Parts: sequence; C-alpha cells; structure tokens
Amino acid sequence: MGKMETSKKRVDDSRLSRKNEDMPRLSPEEKDALVHRYHPDYKDEAYAEIRIGANKGERTVHEVARLLEGESPFFEKSVPLSPTHQVDVLIVGGGGAGATAALAAKAAGASVLMSTKLRLGDSNTVMAEGGMQVAVAPEDSPVRHFVDSLKGGQMANDRTLLRTLVEEGPSVAKWLIDIGVLFDREGDGNLSLRAGGGSSLPRLLRCKDYTGLELMRVLKDCVLNEEINVLEFSPVLELLTDGEGTCTGAILKNLDTGKLIVVQAKTVILATGGIGRLHIQGFPTSNHYGATGDALSMSYRAGAVLTLQDTFQYHPTGSVFPEAMAGLLVTEAIRSAGAHLLNIHGERFVYELETRDAVASAVIRECQEGRGVETPAGRKGVWLDMPLVDLMNGEGTLKNRFPNMVRQFSRYEINIQKEPVLIYPTLHYQNGGVKINVDCESSIKNLFVAGEASGGIHGRNRLMGNSLLDIVVYGKRSGNAASRRAEEAAHGKLTLDHLKIFHEARKAAGVMSETISPLLFPDYVNKN
Amino acid sequence: MWHLGHTLLGKVGCLGGVCGACTVMARPSDQALPKTALACQTMVSEGMEISFLPSDASKKALALLPEAAPSRDTLFQYYPETRRCVACQACSSICPQEIDVMAGVRDVLMGDLPAVAERFDSCVMCGLCAAVCESTVRPHRVGLYARRLHGAFYPQTPSHLLDRIDEISAGRYQAEWSDLMEASSSDKGNV
Repeated sequence: MGKMETSKKRVDDSRLSRKNEDMPRLSPEEKDALVHRYHPDYKDEAYAEIRIGANKGERTVHEVARLLEGESPFFEKSVPLSPTHQVDVLIVGGGGAGATAALAAKAAGASVLMSTKLRLGDSNTVMAEGGMQVAVAPEDSPVRHFVDSLKGGQMANDRTLLRTLVEEGPSVAKWLIDIGVLFDREGDGNLSLRAGGGSSLPRLLRCKDYTGLELMRVLKDCVLNEEINVLEFSPVLELLTDGEGTCTGAILKNLDTGKLIVVQAKTVILATGGIGRLHIQGFPTSNHYGATGDALSMSYRAGAVLTLQDTFQYHPTGSVFPEAMAGLLVTEAIRSAGAHLLNIHGERFVYELETRDAVASAVIRECQEGRGVETPAGRKGVWLDMPLVDLMNGEGTLKNRFPNMVRQFSRYEINIQKEPVLIYPTLHYQNGGVKINVDCESSIKNLFVAGEASGGIHGRNRLMGNSLLDIVVYGKRSGNAASRRAEEAAHGKLTLDHLKIFHEARKAAGVMSETISPLLFPDYVNKN
Repeated sequence: MWHLGHTLLGKVGCLGGVCGACTVMARPSDQALPKTALACQTMVSEGMEISFLPSDASKKALALLPEAAPSRDTLFQYYPETRRCVACQACSSICPQEIDVMAGVRDVLMGDLPAVAERFDSCVMCGLCAAVCESTVRPHRVGLYARRLHGAFYPQTPSHLLDRIDEISAGRYQAEWSDLMEASSSDKGNV
C-alpha cells in the first residue's frame, strides 16, 4: 500500500470514533496568529508596490501589479472612434451581476447593450454551490448578518456598502422568488436555511448544491425574455472617456471576426468578475475561463481608485486529486453538514467552520509542516472526509443535497459517499476591487462597477454566500443608478486621451514592462 | 487542449461542469461509438476521439410568467410541440448530465410541475436534447419554464421572509443600526 492509501485507510478507520468528537474553536488571537503566519496574503515575496496610478504606493501581488501597470492595446494606435452602437447603458460582463444590472436598467427604461467575453451566463455565478446569505430566520437579523460579515472581513469592510447588502437581502430574495428561482423550502413553505463558515446562525438560502446554476439559468432566461441585445464573445479592450475624467463608452472586440466595436454609452457598468485565472502565487483556481481581472486594469488606466488590492480569497477546499480536477471547488456546505478535515495521520487540525481565511491557513500549515498527503502528480493536500455527512445526517444525504459533488467525483470513479478526497486551498475570489459608492459608481464619473469586480463590501475575507447576495443587490443598484444617470446625461465625446496620461506616468515611474492588459484569457492559452 | 496549443477561445466556459458550453462527443479508442459529455468533466485517454459540438441554437419562446397560477396549458401555450413527444428516449440518452429527460417531458404532459422541476434541477441548458428530438420538442426550455412557474407560484408562502421585509421597511432595526454604525466606525474591535 502506498502512502496515500495508508493514510486514507486511517481516515476510514477512525470515522466512526470521530463522529461525535468536538473540535475547539480558535480564539481571536489564535486565528490572527494562524492567518498572519500561513495565509498567502501575508507572503511578502509575493507582493510588489504599485508604482503608478491612483493606488500608487500600495501593495498588490505581482500578477495584478503587472496588469495594472500594463499598456493599453490601443496606445499610439489610430483607432477610428465613430460609434457602431449608441446606448444609454453599456453593461460589460454576462454573469449574475451583469444580467441583474441589465434587467434593472431595462426595467427603468434605459436602452441597454450587454457585452460578454464568453457566452451569456458562462461565469463564476453559475458555479456557486453553497448558497446565498439572507437574514430570514425569526431569531436572525440584518444587524447580526452585518456583524458576522464584518468579523469575517477582518473589520476592513466598507460599513455603508455592507449595511446596504444585508438590509436589501430579504427584498432581493423575494424578487428572485417572484421571477421563479426555486430555493429549497421547508415543509411549512419557509425557505430552508443552512449554516456557513463564520456565520453565527444558519442563513444560507440554496438550491441543493446548484444555487448559482439555478440563479444564472433564471436570470439569463429573463434577459432573453426582455430581448436585451447581448454581444457574446465580445470582450471590452478599453474604456473611452471625454478626456476630462468622464466615462463615455468602450471599445469591444468581436473574437470571431477580430473586428473592433465602438460603443458610445451615457453610462458603463463593469461586471467582469474576478481574477482566478491569473493563478496568483501559482495557485490552482475554482474560477471560470475568463476570470482575468479585466475591470481592474481598464478602469485603473482611466484613473479609477481601487481598494484592498492586497487580499484574495483562497477557498480552503479545492480538489487536488485526480489531477484533472485540480482547483475545482468542493462546497463549504459539505463542511457545514459535518465533513471533517484530516491530515496524513488521520487527525483533525482545525474546527472546520472557521472563516475561509483561517481554514485555508490551517490546511497550508499542515502541508508545509509535513503533515500533508502527496498526490501522484506531486501536489499536496489533506483529506476532506465526506462519508461522515451521511453518517451524521442519514444515508442518502450527500446524494440528495449534494448531487453535483457526487456526480463530479463519480466521473473520476471516486465515490464521496464511501471515501475521503484530497483538498488544498484554491484561488477563489478577489476580496477587493474597484472602489465604489453605494450606487456602484467608481471614482470615474458615469463608470459603475458591480459584483466581484468591485471592492469593499467583503473586507479582507468574504463570508460564504455573501457573493451571490452581492451580485443581486449591487447588480440591481448599479442598473438603477446607471439608468437614472443616463436620463440626465448626454452622450459625451469619445477619446482615448487618458492613455497618454497613463503612458506618461509609466515613463516617469520607469515602468518598462511590455505587458498589454486586459489579459482576456489565461497566459497558457494560444490566442492566435 | 490548450496545453497542446489549441486555440480554444469559444467552447470553454466555467470549467466546473455547470455552464454547458463545452459539450463534446468523446470516443475512447476501444469503443465503437462516442458518448456526449462535458469536455471539462472528461478524462482524456490515449487515442480518444474528441469532437466539439455546437452551442444550443434552439429558439427560446418569449415565455413570460403569467398573472394567475399556471396550469398545464400555460406550458403548452409557449411550447405546444411538447405534446408531440413519441417517447423515443433520444433526449435521455444524449444528456451529458444523465437526466432522464424524456421522463421530464412526460411529467410536463401530466402537468406535474414539481416533478418537472425535480427532474431538471441539474440541467446545464446545453440544448443537446432539443437538437436530437425528431418531434422538435425543446425539453430543456420547457423544463426551465416549468421550474420558473413552480418557483414563482410555489404553493406555500415563505412567511419568515415576508415578515422580515415588513420589519425592515417599518424601521424595526433603526436604533440598533445607529448604535452599531457608530461603534463599528470608532472602535474597530468592539461590535
């Protein structure tokens, strides 16, 4: 028997005796020490100082700094800027935030154009498994939701954004139900609630482990019903401004034909999601194919202020074996339902429902200190013991509540109802992003940002289930605010003047890199 | 595929087995016929034949939710061809999510919305079922519409949610908010 099998057998053998075992929770001091010592956010050599722009002097990881300091694909190119489309609101991004924004803007009477790099709906939203946090239970409250999220965010959350998020949660949940999102229900008709890491009460609405898929299917259906014009495979390459700091449109590229599309818009909403495919610090990722932080570099060049660029979420339980599944998420809800984490000796090493930053740090500690299990491909991981879920909640629980997990592993002949799987933290979410106000407007006039591309709501660590809530609450708010603004604004001049200013700043700071941003697709993809 | 240098810009989406962008026909070298699958969920083997399939091109009816509670006829109003199902099983056998699609179509014909909803809960809307249907049924589309009807007209009300919305609009938490916003901005540690 190999080391991996021997260790796995230890996990199998100790399952019954572990079933009712208590695991002490970390004190705030212990958690702080653990995170500072092991969390990737605190690894100095992974960081660089940003040399130019609104956040000059702040720190971010090398992978992001490179893009923020990157040159525009259009610098010193002559691009005819006569508009091919003229609309009130241009929405960039076809995930949950973009779709919600489009629906809100359309309903408010604006003319809307959506542009997306992949297809409408192919996004991170569609993969969200665990649920959406809304303070629904009678013993719960929005205030309690706020406090949990603030503690989870290491107290770095924007208080106003967070308060709006939790206060509008119940009404957007009602809106989702009204458009036909089928959340799991209890026998009495109330929404079925589950616990999540870092939450003091069960607060997760969910649709089995297909919550994001269900949300996205319905939102996409609504966008199609509204006959909103969607340009698929047409990412935005650059923003346009009037030369005086107001956003007036964007340049898109049709990936099929290679042709540029110039859009003149009274307002632009960026909802392009996160950064997983930058593989920060070499981490695998749970993110979709196009998660390359496009909003960050484009808005930064145009002068936008970013926030919390030094903090990212590494989801504790990304799959590491088999190799084909590396990075793929195993939902936190599995730990809520009782699954244990175990090192090579079959010993638990952390209370499984600490916040994600703490659990990820503990897993990294085990692996760094020789208590991890090595896979045949040379990755390290620890065990996530899922059969315990059935043992604790009754036979069939995994199959009924986590059908997606069961199916995904079964495709590689792993039966999670019978055996543990190996996991390691996977790059999951950018905690920060473009700084916004409560109407999602950035520091650039008429440029709005919604969803993961924006920053501040979640502080330095997002709680499970707050992202699905974020995209709906702030998707709606951005759509409403952008269409209101469009009512009073006229179409502005289309220029690329901000690129010259940015280039001068690059020169002055001695930035020599030849990086062009946005990246659009991961580095390992042949784009020709 | 991209590690082999293929220019794969389209036909790739979430890479997590739920967006339905990467449908393929894949045939292991020792098999006579290929099976449909999601590429991102398929382990490649030596000598495997792989062919990417087109995206769903079936038309979605502009099916809005009705004012009053739905019946079976609500579904047929937008997807009348569902009645023409000849029970050939083609849809079930092509589904990469292993949904018993035809049973779902039967549930539609019976007007059993909760059953349809359950059948299609893992549907990734790849549309292969519609592409192979000789009777022009669009199972994934009628399935989603049935799910939305069931969700929007769920037989029971989520009373706790509605109560909470009333509480918030009545200002029930105002005092707590005032205290908290003040405390959390001045004293970082003490909320």
